[in-house]
Parts: sequence; C-alpha cells; structure tokens
Amino acid sequence: MTCQQATELFPDHLLGSLHDAAKPEFQTHLGNCASCREEVESLAALWSKLGALPKEQPSAAMRPRFYAMLEAYQQGLQHSQSAPRLREVVDGWLTRWWPKQPAFQFAFAVVFLIAGLFIGNRLRTPAHDDSDMVTLRSELRSMRELMTLTLLRQDSPSERLQGVSWVQNMANPDNALLSALLHRLDYDPNINVRLAAVDALYLFVEQPLIRDGLIQSLSRQTAPLVQIALIDLIVEMREKRAAAALKQLIVKEKINADVKQRAEWGIQQLL
Amino acid sequence: MNELADNLVMLKVRDGEVGKLGILFERHHIALYNYFLRQTGRRDASEDLVQEVFLRMLKYRQGYRGESRFTVWMYRIARNSWVDYFKKAKREMPWDDGMEEPVSDEATPSENFEENQKLAQLRAALAKLPPEKREVLVLSRYQNMKYEEIAELLGCAVGTVKARVHRAIKDLKDIYFELAHEKTI
Repeated sequence: MTCQQATELFPDHLLGSLHDAAKPEFQTHLGNCASCREEVESLAALWSKLGALPKEQPSAAMRPRFYAMLEAYQQGLQHSQSAPRLREVVDGWLTRWWPKQPAFQFAFAVVFLIAGLFIGNRLRTPAHDDSDMVTLRSELRSMRELMTLTLLRQDSPSERLQGVSWVQNMANPDNALLSALLHRLDYDPNINVRLAAVDALYLFVEQPLIRDGLIQSLSRQTAPLVQIALIDLIVEMREKRAAAALKQLIVKEKINADVKQRAEWGIQQLL
Repeated sequence: MNELADNLVMLKVRDGEVGKLGILFERHHIALYNYFLRQTGRRDASEDLVQEVFLRMLKYRQGYRGESRFTVWMYRIARNSWVDYFKKAKREMPWDDGMEEPVSDEATPSENFEENQKLAQLRAALAKLPPEKREVLVLSRYQNMKYEEIAELLGCAVGTVKARVHRAIKDLKDIYFELAHEKTI
C-alpha cells in the first residue's frame, strides 16, 4: 500500500468504517511508515476530542412552541378537510336545482331577491343570539392571539414591545404566547424588549412553564439590567430551586459586581 | 431498528396521522438543534430553524417516499431551511460570524480548567472552519451519518465526501494549534 492509498483510507479509519479486507494492509503500512502513522494518530486524537464537545439543550420554550404549531396545523387540516365536502354538497344541490334556461335563471334570481327583501324587512330588529356571540368572541380572541404572536416576531423593536404589552393585557394567554414571550426574554437583541418581557412574565409566574423558563433564562442573560430584574422576579416567586441557579450565576467569571451583590441578596432571601 | 421506526412513523404522518410528528420531534429535536447550533453558532436562530424543519416536514409530507434513511431526508430539509434562513437574515441584518459562548458552565462536563480551555479552543477552531467543511465534520462526527448517507444528502460522490472530511479535519487541526499557539504567546 502506498502513502497515497493509505491517506485515502484515513476518513474511514476515523469513522471506524474501514473495510475488514483493507484493515491488515492499512495497519502494516502504518507500522512501516512513520509519517502516515503520526498523521493518522494526530487526526484521530482531534477526532476523539471533537466527541468531548458537549451537546447543548434547547430552551424550555421550544417544546410547547412545537406542539402549538402542530396543533394549529392539525386544526387547519381538519378545517380544510371539512370545507371542500360542504362545497361539494352545495355545488351538487345547485346543479340539480338551478334551471338551464337563462329566462328561468332570471326569474329565479328575481324570486330570490324579493324573498330576500321580504325576510330582511321582517328581521330588521336583530335578535341577540348568545351562541353566536360566544363564537364571535372566541374568534376575536384567537385573532388577537395570532396578531400578538406576529407582533412578537417583527423586526422592529417597538412592534415587539407592543406585542409584549398585548400579552400583558390578556387574561389567559395560551402556551404558544407564553413560550413566545419567554423566547423574547431569552433571545431578543433589544434590551428594552427583554426587560418588558420580564415585567410581563411577572403576571404569569403561577404557571410551571414560566417558572422553569425564568430560572433557565438566568444563565442565558448577559446584560446586568436584565439579570437584576430577573433575580428580583425569581426571589418574588419564592422558588427554592432558584437558589441553585443564583449560586451558579455568582461563580461566573465575567459577572458584574452589582449583579453578584443582588444575586447574593437573592440567595439570602430564598434560604 | 429505530431507523425503521422513524421511516414508519413518517409514513404515517404522510398518510394523515399528523400528530405522530411529535414522536419524531422528541427523537430528533436535540440533534437538529445542535446541528444548527454548530453551523450557525446562534441559539435563537437554531431554535427557529428546528421549528422550521418540522413545519416543512408537515408541508412536504406528501413528498416523503421512505426510500432512503429518514435522517437523510430530515437533514436535506434542514440544509434547505438553513440556506433560506441565511439568505433572509443577510438581507435583513448584518450577520456576524461569531459564535455564542456555551450557555453555562454546566454545558462543559469537565471540572478541569485546562481541559475546559482546550474545549473552548476546539469550539473556536470549529467556528473558524469554512461552512462546507464544518458541515461534513458535524454530520459525520455528531449526527452519526455514514459517508454514503452524507454523499446522498449533498448529492455528490462518496469519494468527494471522504476527501472533504479529510481536508476538514486537517484544516481544523491547523487552526486549533494556531489558536493554542496564539494563547501561549
């Protein structure tokens, strides 16, 4: 085996996918050729070192976000499946009953117009139907939630801020909205949006999703202002688990002195 | 075994049992997240991209044939999502090439300070590698893909993939030692 041939087998050797038939010859070559041996050893060392780089866990907001998307898709699917069926029924009915002659079609249209005017006149005083109102309200609510989600994803910080304040004004935002809010807190490039998110989340700390998200977020934040706001909020939550997160924050290398002091105060409060 | 199950699950999703996508999410979202994280160095972008991949799986489920390994199909979607995302991000905001630091000290298992520094250097070296070289390393080293599968994914010959992996790891070695050298000066 030449050096060139051996070099071509390096990637297979690294992945452990070297063919059995090629192994003995490859090993013999390495035994005889110091430069190939050194080369493959250094590459293999780096390859195994790469394996030591740990996997990271995504934020707690990711799972609810996925399931909210899945649910929305399923709902959309059900809706679109039932919609064509209805249309087919109406189409079939119309073809059966609609006259072929234009003169009859015209007469039909006039009859419908008169009937429409008559019924409209009779029903001028609108009746209040509770079930309609409930449907309307729930539709309005989901529209508003959708709008808020869209606002939270806009490029302009002021629109995202508006989105945050919309969530704040909702009585019972769903998980998708809360996850979006946590996402803003974790990753928004604008500090004002992150601070506003802390304030808004204060209203929903009773929910486990939010409690977990806030504690996790502590290690993600780098701006002292946000860190301090988060510490205050976590202390307010009286969450014992948070003490560990605070302790971790204190030992961080680049921690701001004020933040450290605040975190120490927080630990005292939680003990 | 799991692979067979992945394919079957995706076929069910294709045929209308959309809720079963949750199984695939639970199995693969962390691997996908780390794939994107290693490619982009950004956590928020990586989370968005994972979401995008699963959304596209739903959108294009009718086109799933189950002929190749499920992960090959999944990473094809992942690559396309990344390319589109990158184009959009470049248009909207300047993309800086830097990688974010790991979230917390928890992420690095070693207690040893020196060892941690070496890992940080390795991470920095990986970030400096050109994307196409980094990609083959990430796919083969972290996503457990065989060279044949990577070739299928990238649409090139297996020999090309092996050559690229070889060049990538050699370049990584050079960058890594360069960084180590700079540190000691």
